[in-house]
Amino acid sequence: MKLGLAAAFLGATLLAGTASAADKRWDGADDLPVNPLACSAGEANAAPAAKPYDGGKPTNAADKAGKPITLVDVPKLIGIGYFNATSKGMQDAAKALGNVTVKTDGPTEAKIDEQIKFIDNYITSGVDGILFAANDPVAIAPVLKKALSKGIHVVGYDANSTPDAREWFVNQAEFNGIAKAMIDSMAKEAGEDKSFAIVTSTFTTPNQARWIAEMWAYAQKCHPKLTWLETVEAQEDNNLSFNQATTLINKHGDKLAGLFGMTSVATPASAEAVTKAKLCGKVAVVGLATPNAMKPYVNADCVKSVVLWNPVDLGYAATYVVRAVVDGSLKAGATSVDAGKLGKLNVVNGSEILLGSPFIFTKQNIKDFDF
Amino acid sequence: MTAVTLVSAEVSPRRRLKVLASQEALLAIAVIGLAIAVGLYNPRFLAARNLSDVLLGNAYIAVAAVGMSIVIVSGNIDISVGALIGVLATISGTLAVNGAPIVVAWLAALVAGVVVMALQGVIIAYLRIPAIVVTLGMLSILKGGLISLTGGKWITDLPDSFHLADIELFGMLPFPVFLMIAVTILAALWMRYSASGRAIYAVGGNAEAARLCGISQPRTIVMVFALHGLFAGAAALLYATQLRVIQSTVPPNLELTIITASVVGGVSILGGVGTVVGSTLAAVLIAEIASALVFIDVSPYWIRAVQGVLILVTVIADILRRRRMAGA
Repeated sequence: MKLGLAAAFLGATLLAGTASAADKRWDGADDLPVNPLACSAGEANAAPAAKPYDGGKPTNAADKAGKPITLVDVPKLIGIGYFNATSKGMQDAAKALGNVTVKTDGPTEAKIDEQIKFIDNYITSGVDGILFAANDPVAIAPVLKKALSKGIHVVGYDANSTPDAREWFVNQAEFNGIAKAMIDSMAKEAGEDKSFAIVTSTFTTPNQARWIAEMWAYAQKCHPKLTWLETVEAQEDNNLSFNQATTLINKHGDKLAGLFGMTSVATPASAEAVTKAKLCGKVAVVGLATPNAMKPYVNADCVKSVVLWNPVDLGYAATYVVRAVVDGSLKAGATSVDAGKLGKLNVVNGSEILLGSPFIFTKQNIKDFDF
Repeated sequence: MTAVTLVSAEVSPRRRLKVLASQEALLAIAVIGLAIAVGLYNPRFLAARNLSDVLLGNAYIAVAAVGMSIVIVSGNIDISVGALIGVLATISGTLAVNGAPIVVAWLAALVAGVVVMALQGVIIAYLRIPAIVVTLGMLSILKGGLISLTGGKWITDLPDSFHLADIELFGMLPFPVFLMIAVTILAALWMRYSASGRAIYAVGGNAEAARLCGISQPRTIVMVFALHGLFAGAAALLYATQLRVIQSTVPPNLELTIITASVVGGVSILGGVGTVVGSTLAAVLIAEIASALVFIDVSPYWIRAVQGVLILVTVIADILRRRRMAGA
């Protein structure tokens, strides 16, 4: 009897499923406007509405334009590959600039209270500028405001604070930039007229929903022949992601030419599913992921493009931004800033500096990263 | 009235056996029936590759559910198992990455599983603290401890020989599936035919009667938890060796899926009743449903709802059956 009931329920879900089959593509559930980038690099992008400067300002900062400055970098935590990479970028920039000394110091665990203590200590000991990647955007604000009030320059990278607690934030990637890199890579690897499916975390995760909405907009605009089969949820769970990717492979068979992994969990799990199904080279895997988890698949030629940003460049850009602020070349209302070998970086969202296009890890460069 | 009571008292043991036997049969029918139904909708579902993938990807849940079923039959529950599997996977992976012999890395997961679970068994049995409280505490300790110690850092660069789950026996039978079947059969035979196995049913069914029969309840409970720890260790090895990375976090909701498999498999949440064959079949059914939902284009949101309905229906049926047998 009990299973009879269960079967009846399953029958009902079957019916409900058939009714909703039309919307299985699922291209982002939020109703926020999308802003797909231009298809080729040469074309101009539609300019988003300009937003006035909304960052903070240090009180009576000493004028050290062109003079040597000492900075401290307080990342979320130290000792992991990702922040070792941002730290390396800062050292590279300091060397290139010649008049900047920067040291990285911070908690060994990603704890906001520890991070606040570190920043507080450096305010007391005296530095010209603080670089940070916040463990919590709101909780870190008071100590950053204290730094500003003591005349110390404050610039964030990787993880923002509330805007008025720092002067500038170096934003590693915007949603439409990630979307373009993902869809362009897929079209190149799988083929312009092929079909793909997506493994994401959940339909309600804000970042993934935004990326997918932008991917849909960009695909329609620039690669209209790509077929978007469906999107499945896999939480942030390795094994569930693997099972879902495997199910997609088995369900669509030869029709499936590509899989997108939308999280750093789903991408290696999708690559593993393709490897186990012996479909490397037949099903392209493109996704957001960190290099270490992807090295086995990239080195085995199963995955060609891992989309993320380059943390070395991120630290490099953040250091140039502090120098530009101290020198007075980056002020409220500026539209771009010079960032050495990275060229001119654009100001977006009032007081953020965009690092540029996402970075794509490939077999040639992935060995240079350890995070 | 007396006549009715007498009659039902006479009939019920046989009827109970019949119902018990049919729980597994019903599940087996559901597993096959669902496969055929979904196969009619999308024949690819029946491809050998897909069916084997469904088993392969979820065998660790069935293995853990065998241990969980033994715990529930003994009249206890364990909600720390999902967290423990995450911790054991991390221990094993950390050892393997740091150059320990692979066999040591594997054994460490089994040994640590037994130690942690036996410890909980001792607290539950000798200090008489309810299992739900003890295991809830352990869940928090394991979850918090794992994040604090690893910082959520993934384990990568695992040696190839570490991947137990990749082994295929006779070139066709994946090791996880073999382990699932072997563990289920051995545990089922042991629980049914050995004195120590029967003691679990006695303790879970009627602790007082078991005591009068000379069965030590505390010792049985410690044994049950130690065994459960061994199965959790085996499940953790399958879980850890399936992919090239270990997440170093606690798999979300894993304990719920494992408990669901036991309960839907016919293990009474009140203790004393149920078999591991049922829980393994239920684990297979749940895995099959999850895959089927993708094949029939139903939003995977439904998997939780379907699991929930399966639990409710099974538990309500169990309670109704007990009331009927208690002889109204």
